[in-house]
Amino acid sequence: MSADVSDLSLVRRVQSGDKGAFDALVRKYQHKLVKLVMRYVRNPAEAEDIAQEAFIKAYRALPQFRGDSAFYTWLYRIAINTAKNAVVSRDRSPIEYNIDRNDATEESYDMQGRMKDSETPEGLVLTDEIRSTVNAAIESLPEDLKTAIVLRELDGLSYEEIAAAMDCPVGTVRSRIFRAREAIDRRLREVFEGGLGRTEDLG
Amino acid sequence: MNEELDSQLSAMFDDELPAAECELMARRLSRDEDLKSRWSRYAAIGATIRSEGGVRLNTTLAARVNAALTAEPTTVTEPMHASVEPHRSRQRVFASRWWAPVGGVAVAASVAAAAILWVRFESPAQDGQIQAARAGASSGPVAVATNTPDSYVVPKTLPRRSIVPSTQLANYVVAHSEFSSPVSRRNLLSALMANESGTAGAQTGSDEPTEDVNDDAKSPQ
Repeated sequence: MSADVSDLSLVRRVQSGDKGAFDALVRKYQHKLVKLVMRYVRNPAEAEDIAQEAFIKAYRALPQFRGDSAFYTWLYRIAINTAKNAVVSRDRSPIEYNIDRNDATEESYDMQGRMKDSETPEGLVLTDEIRSTVNAAIESLPEDLKTAIVLRELDGLSYEEIAAAMDCPVGTVRSRIFRAREAIDRRLREVFEGGLGRTEDLG
Repeated sequence: MNEELDSQLSAMFDDELPAAECELMARRLSRDEDLKSRWSRYAAIGATIRSEGGVRLNTTLAARVNAALTAEPTTVTEPMHASVEPHRSRQRVFASRWWAPVGGVAVAASVAAAAILWVRFESPAQDGQIQAARAGASSGPVAVATNTPDSYVVPKTLPRRSIVPSTQLANYVVAHSEFSSPVSRRNLLSALMANESGTAGAQTGSDEPTEDVNDDAKSPQ
């Protein structure tokens, strides 16, 4: 399986004039990009603004994208440059954060970011609820499904590598990851459709 | 919702869907809001598992980007078939390897044709100058031809014929006959014979080859 083939399929559609395909790319990478930009700015809302600018720049530059590198690699460079320029233009020094998930300072950093965040308290609650729902759903998964989805999402292994690690066919890995996602997604949909009063689109 | 379709969506999210299926799924995904919402939730699930601190999972970023791009002109460029479909890529490379030398030959032929045309346009004036230099100041008609490069009227007296004796020229033509075509050789010989016998055969349109032969004949001497 050639890497990045699904992104390139979407990129091709964008290049042929389909803006909806770019929306799919944004939805896929928005969290990654915001996390990346937050190495340079503290405030999540500011990071989102910079990520938005990076996505728009990427859209405008997409006709020149030839597919020589992976789409996310290309997007990553645009986002880094946009973030650096934003920091420089605001006369700040770039702040390199170690956002290793095991870092003990992450929680305080996260809280500091939240304090400066301009979003509503309801939005923060919803984010927390999404997190707790997903984590609870993962904990309730059968062990083989949990292992498959964690190896994929946390360790970034390919299906082939997961198949080797779990000693099962690639087709089984695909099925396990899909079933894990479906189980989590079922719970997640309830959060959004279950009457929290916040029907804000996840995308 | 079709389970197979969702399974394909999950595999596509992980870049594990075959290219051909990706094409179809990308088309559906770009138009189907339910699929897009599911796709977004897959991204949120991944972000949660990776504990991406500070990232808002209920972000409206995609909606904001989408709104901002509404005013943007639609970009249409040459599709990148090569990257998505490797076998087609190889075919294109193979084709380009064939076409590259052919294209080079075509360019070379065009340049050569342009050079020939340029020489043909330039030659009347150059011939006139050469003839003037050869004939010297004593040759009146040649001087007139030099001043009128657009005219192809051949002067009545051809001074160069007196430079190379016809017998010598005929010997040269015969000696080099293996390098010339039979038709042109026959024409040259008949022209020489006609010239030798005092007829005006050389003035009936066969001057250019005769002139060329004269020039060629001079160089070995």
